[in-house]
Amino acid sequence: MKPDRKKKQHSSRESRQPERKTKRGSGGDQRMAQDVEPSAGSEITPVWLFVLMGLMLYGGMLYLNSYAGGFNPKVYEAFTSYKLVENANPKSGPEMLIAKGESLYMVCAACHQVNGMGVALQFPPLAGSEWVNEPNPARLIRIPLHGMNGPIKVKDQDWNASMAALGAALSSEDIAAILSYIRQAWGNNAPPVSPADVDAVKEDTKSRPMDGSRPWLIDDLMKVPVAP
Amino acid sequence: MNTQPSALANSAGPVSGDSAAAKSRVLQIDRSCRLPLMFLIACSLVWLVAGGFLSLISSIKLHAPGFLSQSSWLTYGRVYPAAMNALWYGFAFQGAMAVALWLMCRLGRAELMGGKGILLGAFFWNVAVKLGVLGILAGASTGHSMLEMPGYVSPLLFVSYCLMGVWALVTFHFRQERQLYVSQWYLVGALFCFPWIFTAAQLLLVFHPVRGTLQAVVSGWYGHALITLWAVPIGLAVLFYFIPKLFGRQLHSRHLAAFGFWTLAAFGGWGGMHAGAPVPRWISSVSIAGGMMMILPLIAVALNWHLTARGAKGPENNQVFRFVQFGAIAFFAASLLDIGGSFRVIGEVTDLTVFTTGVKALYLYGFFGMTIAGAIYYLAPKITGCDWPSDQLAKLHYLGSVVGILVLVLGLVAGGILQGVRINNPEIPFVEAIRSTIPFLGLSTLGGLLLLAANLAFLVNVIRLLALCCCTNCFASNRSPAGSGPAAAGANL
Repeated sequence: MKPDRKKKQHSSRESRQPERKTKRGSGGDQRMAQDVEPSAGSEITPVWLFVLMGLMLYGGMLYLNSYAGGFNPKVYEAFTSYKLVENANPKSGPEMLIAKGESLYMVCAACHQVNGMGVALQFPPLAGSEWVNEPNPARLIRIPLHGMNGPIKVKDQDWNASMAALGAALSSEDIAAILSYIRQAWGNNAPPVSPADVDAVKEDTKSRPMDGSRPWLIDDLMKVPVAP
Repeated sequence: MNTQPSALANSAGPVSGDSAAAKSRVLQIDRSCRLPLMFLIACSLVWLVAGGFLSLISSIKLHAPGFLSQSSWLTYGRVYPAAMNALWYGFAFQGAMAVALWLMCRLGRAELMGGKGILLGAFFWNVAVKLGVLGILAGASTGHSMLEMPGYVSPLLFVSYCLMGVWALVTFHFRQERQLYVSQWYLVGALFCFPWIFTAAQLLLVFHPVRGTLQAVVSGWYGHALITLWAVPIGLAVLFYFIPKLFGRQLHSRHLAAFGFWTLAAFGGWGGMHAGAPVPRWISSVSIAGGMMMILPLIAVALNWHLTARGAKGPENNQVFRFVQFGAIAFFAASLLDIGGSFRVIGEVTDLTVFTTGVKALYLYGFFGMTIAGAIYYLAPKITGCDWPSDQLAKLHYLGSVVGILVLVLGLVAGGILQGVRINNPEIPFVEAIRSTIPFLGLSTLGGLLLLAANLAFLVNVIRLLALCCCTNCFASNRSPAGSGPAAAGANL
């Protein structure tokens, strides 16, 4: 709003103005001298206009929130979010594995939870786990392949649980996908696992059945070399 | 020259005795404007007719592609931008400058400063526009919408704009009446906005071109900002001046006007990217949201005018009133069409059709042209000291403009919607969709022709007024210079 410094004097001048209006003269020159310059009254702006402005600003924010593609410069007209753009693009190599692993992880989320935090006293976490983040996945691959039983130390806590074997139910590619996913989700940062890695482990452990009849114990697992 | 009663009177009421001094003061102010303003007005109207002629050629080419196709100078891709540049920079800018300078003088109760500087600026502005339009016709266009004039013209354009604009600000600075009126806010805003948007767009597009898709963003922003931050404020300044004046009342509320002013200033520069433009989605979404917010200034302005004029009858048989009224209605119509067309649902149909051309024409001819013409009908007799030579020509101008604008805009808007609906329908072949707009394009050509005739009548009337003014002022007395004081000016009449 404009500050109205001279409001008082001004309004008194305004009230005088109608009297200054003069009649139309006969000639053009006389007429032109008689026009009064316009002035403005000081009625207040209706409050509903400000309310409307607030509502429209709010509506505009909502609109931008859902239709501006998250202000991502890669999102063009046909898409409303970067997620849709990503899904519409073909994936390659590890990215494809990770995307596939994210959907297959539902199998694991039953115990380890969607956020990878596990359940206190029952199922150990995957997020930040030293087993998951080990650069060489040789031990990690073995756990879902044949199952695991007995005590294990994860993130300085002792756990005693058993994990089912998934080697018979899931293909090498599926296991590689899930492991690649959990190795980069929730702040984990380890290289992806390829289906070939899983196949190599299967080759090394031919004698061990994948139906869960001989799950890994911690002592056996520790014997598997993980040196690079 | 002409003795029939003029229909241009605006005020009626008893004369009060002490107004003699005020009268001579107003006379003095008007006289100080005479030479530079009449030069600007005459040049502006010559460009209006020239631009109308060029746009008529381009309009005919839309439904008769073979028309004048032998000459490369007259191909559609050159004639249409040449017409738009002639109309905007030739007509609109000079007409607006004339009216803006006069309003600055009148509202500040101050004589016009720097008349010679303004004349010089106007002269070079005309040189620049002429070079620019010829450059476009010769094929040296930059290819950016509304900035087609070749790069070498724009510095001259900018300098001559500053030569004129600076005197408006100096006159504003030395105003006698310190209390500001609404029109002055808009005028000062528009005077500063143009150099900003013009230099920004020129730098980013012509001198140091940004890369790729960003060019489309800058160009779209400039084209829109030229209307919302320059043409609309100037037009509103004129309407805010004349509406209270014509109804003989004071404006309802300066606070409501301030609300309209600041919301326009805040949201006017956001639009311009139509939905579906090849730019990141957030840019067009922000543009749509900004366009939606433009409803606020629209409501504030409409409410203010409505409450000002409520219950009062406008002057009858008044040429100024007719034009101003049409301009105000066209302003709302064009703004609503513009806002509507910016929504994705509607934009999917209307974008890249002649619909947008129609909305721009409504802004230019309907709102801006009619408003400025109304102001010229009022101020030209005052600054020349002569009545309009012909009421017939003025009536012809009004009738031709109204019918011409309605036919032109309806043709383009309806044709554009039909074109968009048909192009979006995969069942209809593209050529058939285009062909179905031919009758509408023919209608728009007819409208353009009527409008050209009307504007020609206006130009003839102004030229006759100038001749009349020369006869009465320059030759009748001993060549007393314009604005030489109330006594001398009074003696001339």
